[in-house]
Amino acid sequence: MGALADGLRRLRSLVWRRRLEDGLDDEIRFHVEQQTEKNQRAGMTPDEARRQALIRFGGVEQVRERTRDEFRAAPIENLARDVRYGLRSLRRHPGFTAMAVLSLAVGIGANAAIFGVAHALLFRQSPLADPDTLVNIYEAESAGQFNPMSYPNIEDLRRGTTQVFSGIAASAICVAQIDHGGTGATVMGEAVTGGAFALLGVAPQLGRAIQPEDDVARGGHPVVMLSHGYWQRAFGGDPRVVGRTLQMGRRGYTIIGVAPADYRGGLPAVTPAFFVPMTMLDELMGIEMLDRRFNHSMLVKARLAPGVARVQAAHAASLVAASLTSTRPEGWIPGEQFELVPTSDVQVVPGVDPLLRAAAWLLIAVVGLVLLLACTNLASFLVARAVDRGQEIAVRRALGASRGALARQVLVESALLGLGGAAAGLLLALALLQLLLSIDLPLPYGLRLDVAFGLGWRTLFDWRVLAFTAGAGMMAGVFLGLVPAVHGTRADLGSALKAGSKGSDAPGPLRWRNAMVVAQIAMSLVLLVGAGLFLRSWQQTLAVDPGFGRAPTAILSVIMPVARTAPDAAVPRTRRLLERFRALPGATAVGLIWPLPLELSSSDTGFTIDGRQPPAGRETFRASRATVDGGFFDAAGMTILAGRTFDDRDGRDSQPVAIISQAMARRYWPDGDALGRILRRPDPGEADLMIVGVVSDVTVRSLGEAPRDVVYQSYTQGQPLPGASFVVRTAGDPARMSLALLGAGQQVDPDLRVLQTMTMAQHLAAARLPSQIGAFLLAAFAVLGVALAAIGVYGTVRYTVAMRTREVGIRMALGADAAGVARLLASRGLRLVLVGGAIGVVASLLAARLLASLLFGVGTFDPVALAGAPLVLGAAAWLAAYLPARRASRANPLAALRAD
Amino acid sequence: MLQGTLDMLVLKALQLEPMHGWGITERIEQWSEEVLQLGQGSLYPALYRMERQDFIRSEWRVTDNNRRARYYSLTARGRRYLNESLAQWRRMSRAINLVLDVTTVN
Repeated sequence: MGALADGLRRLRSLVWRRRLEDGLDDEIRFHVEQQTEKNQRAGMTPDEARRQALIRFGGVEQVRERTRDEFRAAPIENLARDVRYGLRSLRRHPGFTAMAVLSLAVGIGANAAIFGVAHALLFRQSPLADPDTLVNIYEAESAGQFNPMSYPNIEDLRRGTTQVFSGIAASAICVAQIDHGGTGATVMGEAVTGGAFALLGVAPQLGRAIQPEDDVARGGHPVVMLSHGYWQRAFGGDPRVVGRTLQMGRRGYTIIGVAPADYRGGLPAVTPAFFVPMTMLDELMGIEMLDRRFNHSMLVKARLAPGVARVQAAHAASLVAASLTSTRPEGWIPGEQFELVPTSDVQVVPGVDPLLRAAAWLLIAVVGLVLLLACTNLASFLVARAVDRGQEIAVRRALGASRGALARQVLVESALLGLGGAAAGLLLALALLQLLLSIDLPLPYGLRLDVAFGLGWRTLFDWRVLAFTAGAGMMAGVFLGLVPAVHGTRADLGSALKAGSKGSDAPGPLRWRNAMVVAQIAMSLVLLVGAGLFLRSWQQTLAVDPGFGRAPTAILSVIMPVARTAPDAAVPRTRRLLERFRALPGATAVGLIWPLPLELSSSDTGFTIDGRQPPAGRETFRASRATVDGGFFDAAGMTILAGRTFDDRDGRDSQPVAIISQAMARRYWPDGDALGRILRRPDPGEADLMIVGVVSDVTVRSLGEAPRDVVYQSYTQGQPLPGASFVVRTAGDPARMSLALLGAGQQVDPDLRVLQTMTMAQHLAAARLPSQIGAFLLAAFAVLGVALAAIGVYGTVRYTVAMRTREVGIRMALGADAAGVARLLASRGLRLVLVGGAIGVVASLLAARLLASLLFGVGTFDPVALAGAPLVLGAAAWLAAYLPARRASRANPLAALRAD
Repeated sequence: MLQGTLDMLVLKALQLEPMHGWGITERIEQWSEEVLQLGQGSLYPALYRMERQDFIRSEWRVTDNNRRARYYSLTARGRRYLNESLAQWRRMSRAINLVLDVTTVN
């Protein structure tokens, strides 16, 4: 029972108040009449009887009043009155109200937007049944690695762990050319093992899920399940979609169902458009993925059998790895291990998660700081108001209002501001998110971040975000109201009344205000320095020379379907494409490579060198590997430093050759005698290579990495290529060239499966994306922070100016010049700025250390950022302090003197 | 009269049957052999308060001589509260009596 029920009853009686009151009158009348009748029966005259009855009753009016008090819903009524009063007084000060609500809206809006995105991208878990018994499994060549698995390894693991796992589900990202509604598009999907949906406990929202029966014979199950997002995008959420046929690649797939809206596939943050059975993967992609033990592309989840602990499962898995190492099947890297990670601990991939988390926390800290800035603004406004209202409050107290009532009044007012700020902040967050989502991120394969689509705003603004926003607003309001509520209502009555006008010196509140300005300056300086560091870091990534693609270049990435029966057809086919591209007008240099540097995927190879010992515990050295044609280095703007590039000499039957990176040549042959050396490759199916050239370094996996050892092979030797990126340097517009490549390629080879067309600039932009996003977000928030701090300084200076109106009048009347007065008035604000700035510099030095892991090419002690930020902030603060001061100094001295 | 005692008396009066305010005054006077005369000034506030506290509920009914009056009746919560109050009261009065008896013997 208690408060809530009591409140409800009071609320009810508030509603029924009029009726109750009528009833009370009737009841009293009835009572008096009864007493009168009794008196009459006792022998009184009618008049006397009524008089005695009334006396006996004891004052009808008092009883009525006291009774009314009993059923009056006092607290609620008072609250309603306070709210009305608060709204009225906020309306009376529109400037103050607008500033306060706007400040809060900015703070809360930024928070809600970031919280929404972070929640949607990182902290939202897919709806897996009983997630505590699920583990993700990765392959690791050494500790700390979390590589996707290969299908043969999964099969071996499955056979060896039937005791500890009740099931293993694998998924592989794949792309398909989907012809739908008259247009073809390359769409990303997922191939899943037949038992995956059942194992994870994901039930379809429409039709049925992929089942084990759908995953038996290679290429035998052309069925597809749509993701919620793709179903909405491509089919408008049509419920009759089940049973229809979707043209994927060269084959029609029957749509069997639609996955639930909140299932995001094996790799969160990027929801696939469709799901097909694993046995369809090779056919759909046109390449062999399933039988290649070295093809690491499967994301794996397994469910622990009942009563089995993760360590037991890990032990069973390590036995499988050990037996593979001893039997050495082709493609197994000896010494490799299986890593088990609880599924609920993984956001995206264990290797990337710490960075993502750090980034998310950084953002949350930054928007928290912005909110704090907004709150200090609000707080200092409230304190100023409380001082302004000192006299009003003193009068009301003198008239008998209790201190509690007055404090409640102040609190209600600030809570109203808080709620107003929260509402406005939510609108702002919506606008902000719209903006964020409208930004066209240069992601490969037409990938889109899975933030909003599919689930729409419901995801972003689920109850948690709403609760967060409303809570933040209320908390801000109430907390901030506490200071003035306590301070303002404590004022000594006598002196407050006597002090008269605004001129009252209230050192307490002013000190508060000053402290807040100092804090604001310090906080916004931290934000600015952080933004400066990220901008510098981004600048550094722009300055990094990736080692290739400096000239305007177009790229066409394709998958090369290889007929198992005719592996020899691959090379002539590729050569035809190269020749056709060379003939394109505007093509200055043409080449191909697989995989493209700075792409999502990379490949490597093991080798030994005569006379050198591999590192302890290893049987081979390892290096990145890429397959190219002889023209690639020229097309990509790389330089042959020694030896030669590949040419017609290098065929299927001639000596297998390699070109190595400069870094690799320096490492193994520092004397410059790399040419002619042999890379021995013990892995089955890999030929020994003779080094015929050394080429300049490129960044392979990430911008700014140390130069890697890379072994380049010719596409005319070794395994047929699963895909290729054709790289064409052009004198003209690279975007147009990439389209020309697409047209020409499809003309030569109608079977060509296009992954994407792009320019080299777009490709490099994707690699720079993280630091760019970080820099721009932080810069945006820093600007917000500075604006908020400027508003704070402005408010404080204006306030002190207002308090000293009379003094200014006297000075002016006595002949002080306007500029001097303005300087005098502004100086106080500027002094606060200096103090805040000093604190801020120290704080940013400390904060910068925390950013180290997210920065690139910039030390945490970066003179540019550390000097630039105070300059920007100083300029803004100076303006904010000087403007109101100057206005005051231009006021008419007479009017100033007369001001109350 | 002691605060709380009034509540107890009113609830006790309502224990047998619903009654209007006037009836409650009469019943208590009658039971107390005219010793306890309720000040109506406190009866109605008490009735409204106890209704709000959900000890009693009220409804308009027609009396025997065809007048409209508000009748009060006990709720389950009120009944429980009455029993607790009575028990408390009995403990108290017994304790007081014990003390007073001791004093008399001496």
